[in-house]
Amino acid sequence: MFYNYIKIAFRSLMKQRGLTAINILGLSIGLACFCMFTLYAIHEFSFDKFHKDADQLYRVYRWTEDLDGEGVEGDTHLPMPLGTSFASDFPDVEQMVRWKSAWGESFVRVNDRVSRIEVSHVDQPFFEMFNFPIIYGDSEQPLSDPKNVVLTEEIAFQLFGEENPTGKTIEIQFEENFESFTISAVAKNIPTNSSRSFQILGSMDYFASTTYGKRRMNSWNSSFLGVFVKLRKGSGLATNAAELLKFRRKYYPNQEAEIREAGFWDGEGAPVTYKMQPITQMHTEASMPGGDVPSINPRNIWTLLLIAAGVLLIAIINFTTLSIGRSAGRAKEVGVRKVMGSTRMHLAIQFLTEAILLSILSTIVALVLVSVLLPYFNQLSDRSLAFSFSQFPQLGWIVVCLTIITGLLAGSYPALLLSRFRPTQVFRNSIKLGGSNMFTKTLVTSQFVLSSGLVIATLVVLSQINFMQSKNPGFEKENIIIVDAEETDSREIYPRFKKLLSSIPEIKQVAASEIGLGEGNGYSRSGFEYMGSIKQIYEYYVDDDYLTLMNIPLLAGRGFEVERQDGANRSVIVNESMLTDFGWTLSDAVGQVLTGYSNEGNDPVVIGVVKDFHYRPFRELVKPQMFHQFEDYTPFKYFVKINAGDPTQALSKLEQSWTSIVPDYPFKYSFLDDDLNRFYRSEKRFSSIISWAGGISIFLACLGLMGLAALTAVNRRKEIGIRKVLGDDVFGIVGLLSKDFIKLVLIALVIASPLSWYLMNNWLESFAYRISFQWWIFVVAGIGAILIAFITISVQSIKAALINPIESLRNE
Amino acid sequence: MLKLENIEKFYRSGLQKSWVLKDVSVNVEQGEFVTIMGPSGSGKTTLLNIIGMLDESNSGSYHFLDEAVHTFKERRRTDIHKHYIGFVFQAYHLIDELTVYENIETPLLYRNVKSKDRKAIVADILDRFNMVAKKDLFPSQLSGGQQQLVGVARAIIGKPKLLLADEPTGNLHTKQGEMIMELFKSLHDDGMTIIQVTHSEKNAQYGTRILQLMDGFVRADEQVSQQTTIVS
Repeated sequence: MFYNYIKIAFRSLMKQRGLTAINILGLSIGLACFCMFTLYAIHEFSFDKFHKDADQLYRVYRWTEDLDGEGVEGDTHLPMPLGTSFASDFPDVEQMVRWKSAWGESFVRVNDRVSRIEVSHVDQPFFEMFNFPIIYGDSEQPLSDPKNVVLTEEIAFQLFGEENPTGKTIEIQFEENFESFTISAVAKNIPTNSSRSFQILGSMDYFASTTYGKRRMNSWNSSFLGVFVKLRKGSGLATNAAELLKFRRKYYPNQEAEIREAGFWDGEGAPVTYKMQPITQMHTEASMPGGDVPSINPRNIWTLLLIAAGVLLIAIINFTTLSIGRSAGRAKEVGVRKVMGSTRMHLAIQFLTEAILLSILSTIVALVLVSVLLPYFNQLSDRSLAFSFSQFPQLGWIVVCLTIITGLLAGSYPALLLSRFRPTQVFRNSIKLGGSNMFTKTLVTSQFVLSSGLVIATLVVLSQINFMQSKNPGFEKENIIIVDAEETDSREIYPRFKKLLSSIPEIKQVAASEIGLGEGNGYSRSGFEYMGSIKQIYEYYVDDDYLTLMNIPLLAGRGFEVERQDGANRSVIVNESMLTDFGWTLSDAVGQVLTGYSNEGNDPVVIGVVKDFHYRPFRELVKPQMFHQFEDYTPFKYFVKINAGDPTQALSKLEQSWTSIVPDYPFKYSFLDDDLNRFYRSEKRFSSIISWAGGISIFLACLGLMGLAALTAVNRRKEIGIRKVLGDDVFGIVGLLSKDFIKLVLIALVIASPLSWYLMNNWLESFAYRISFQWWIFVVAGIGAILIAFITISVQSIKAALINPIESLRNE
Repeated sequence: MLKLENIEKFYRSGLQKSWVLKDVSVNVEQGEFVTIMGPSGSGKTTLLNIIGMLDESNSGSYHFLDEAVHTFKERRRTDIHKHYIGFVFQAYHLIDELTVYENIETPLLYRNVKSKDRKAIVADILDRFNMVAKKDLFPSQLSGGQQQLVGVARAIIGKPKLLLADEPTGNLHTKQGEMIMELFKSLHDDGMTIIQVTHSEKNAQYGTRILQLMDGFVRADEQVSQQTTIVS
């Protein structure tokens, strides 16, 4: 019996090749999308779960209530002695590892070749606590000697090629001197679903012996490293707020009283305490910073899955509407089978088998599509996913379930409908179906609601991105090259470099800043108490030429020129927002003293005011900000302004100059406008994902529409024939056939517009500077959708209209 | 074998009832070969469908093998229908996607006959109808007469007690029609009860009894004399 079902299913699929192709194409595209997004979701939710006792591993962090109006804060940077005290104070802690991430790249020398590589430091039990398998060398305690280092496979290959580097020596620059280390082991490459990663791992004991480490080894006031612990099985410490607070109070006995006294906090609980985050949540707890991979809001993952499900749904709807459209052709078979003794159940199973068979075929095509498209999807999602059943065994049953569910969803309504036919009605020819069915209309409309909604959303996101990238940020961003001088002896290099460049005609001007724009956090921030209220200020350390090079206009006072002579100084230049925040005006700002900024009594004095400029993305409001001149800080980023036009000449001269001064260090540069665009990477990714989804869904919806139009033309053959005999022309008939469908698309637009308006306005709210919602977006999306739909339909209806009426009327 | 009493059937169109059958009472005994005749729209097909349990009457009673069919639920009716009744149509109504063999086999599938038995039964009937060579062809590859032959084979494969035929020769040439009617006659001679609907006087003569319908009433009910059959 079952074999019989399959056989018939195959034959009827083969008989209707066109429809079958449309269905398989649509379903496989939908399934491929869904598979890739599911893979993405599984990958995101699998972060950090590969450690063997993952459920016992926690990250300790400091929790601060909203003291400054900037919201509550969880800070995972903790002082050096905290980890050891935590482990000794709590018997539940079985193991503890402090993990100091690399601060940028260090210079690493192997055989006189210098590369830039990140060096992190960890405590000894690192490899016992975490699952980062060792492939060469000491797999037990590779960091037992402070002068040992562990490399990842990738770095080992980069430095030594194929050979096993264990036992070899490499030199790493610490505090301006190269030190020798022995490679004790090579670890397998970090899995893509690890929040934290490393390139070279050194011992925490070594770090503690550096000048920087020595100074902070016992300091509770310098927070810079992560603390990870493994708790005893069944321990309740992670949720025991009282114990953790007791710990905080033990090491900061007076702090709470001071905060309350100063009036920053009058809430019930403690203003500052420690909390513990399961490491399995590091990636998906959006309110906390992630690891090296930014944490992601699970809501975003679900949104993407929902969009993918929507695309799949459109394909499923295609199958359903096309099956209904075709049901007239299958009615006879149903009638005959019923007369021969078939029950409704038999027939329903038969039609469901057909649907499931189709969805199995589609899944096979989809898996091929996934393997072809995954690299592109990885680019979109900024991941390196592999559709691997061995990495994610759950993919196996997900694919199987997905196939069956898709088949059932797509096939159940047609099965229900077809199996209901009564033989007497069928043989009397009293069944009327096809495009005029109310259910079909609703489905087609919802397809277009979904797809045109996505198109509208895409247009909004794209115009917002365009707005942010093209809006003048208040400084010049074109033709500026940033040279990265981090980790070099910049204070000595910079003046020489600048002097050398002054003689190059392609280069207009050179300035320096402590940090670049558009990368990392891109700022340093400090808070202090000014006249009784807490102030947060973004600070930039720059040299004399920075403001002129960047073309940031001064509104009052002067730039840093005069200080050129006297070196050490206390002068600062502030922005307009800071005036407002501090209650100054343009006329009285110059000369104001930032009392409370420094404890040593040399508080900064305002010498100038600049116009607000967008040093942060347009997502954020411009906040109070000020410029200092270099003093203790090193100018790490050189801003080089070049002549407009082709930059290759200037770039090669820049590199020559760099190598002539610092031959050992690689030349690293970027363009300022590229750096700034990095602010909008996540928006861009979002926009490309939804524009793809929108494009695919429109395509699928039109695919369905095409099939449906073809079926309608067949079902209305006789009517078309009669109309032609009565004198209707091709235009009339195309109009007749298109009218109904275009109406549905119009209804869909009417529903989709307010919906997407609402949702996208919500999205836009998250930007401090945003476009206003423009009516043309609806018009463009609307005209586009109608046009595409009309073209799709008219191909079919013109064909139908051209048939000779004699042929269509003969067989009735 | 079956007994219809005061059968009435009408369709509602708006407020009007349009009558198809009015007060029809018929008895058919085991082994009869009944022909229902009458002009178009006289209710022949509807009566046949009610007898075949594809349709229900609005009122009246219907006993089939002494069971009160009019009181049965749909499921039970399907069951009786499946086990005791075979159908032959004017337009053959073969399933286009199935071969001759598979078309004939289908009723057995719905009766849950085992695969081995099915093969034997189908082979038997193919042999009897001289269609072994054509068993793997699809309906579209056969002539009308051959298609109807398959239709009859399919109708009787389940060994029904009653064979219903709605204008079985309506779409056929005279020659092919005669062949089908001869087949019916031989089935009847083997003891099969047959009820057919036809316009053709000549085909009616193959049967034993003629029921004349007119505007939903039974106008005449008479036995066919053996002599006339032979003469014609």
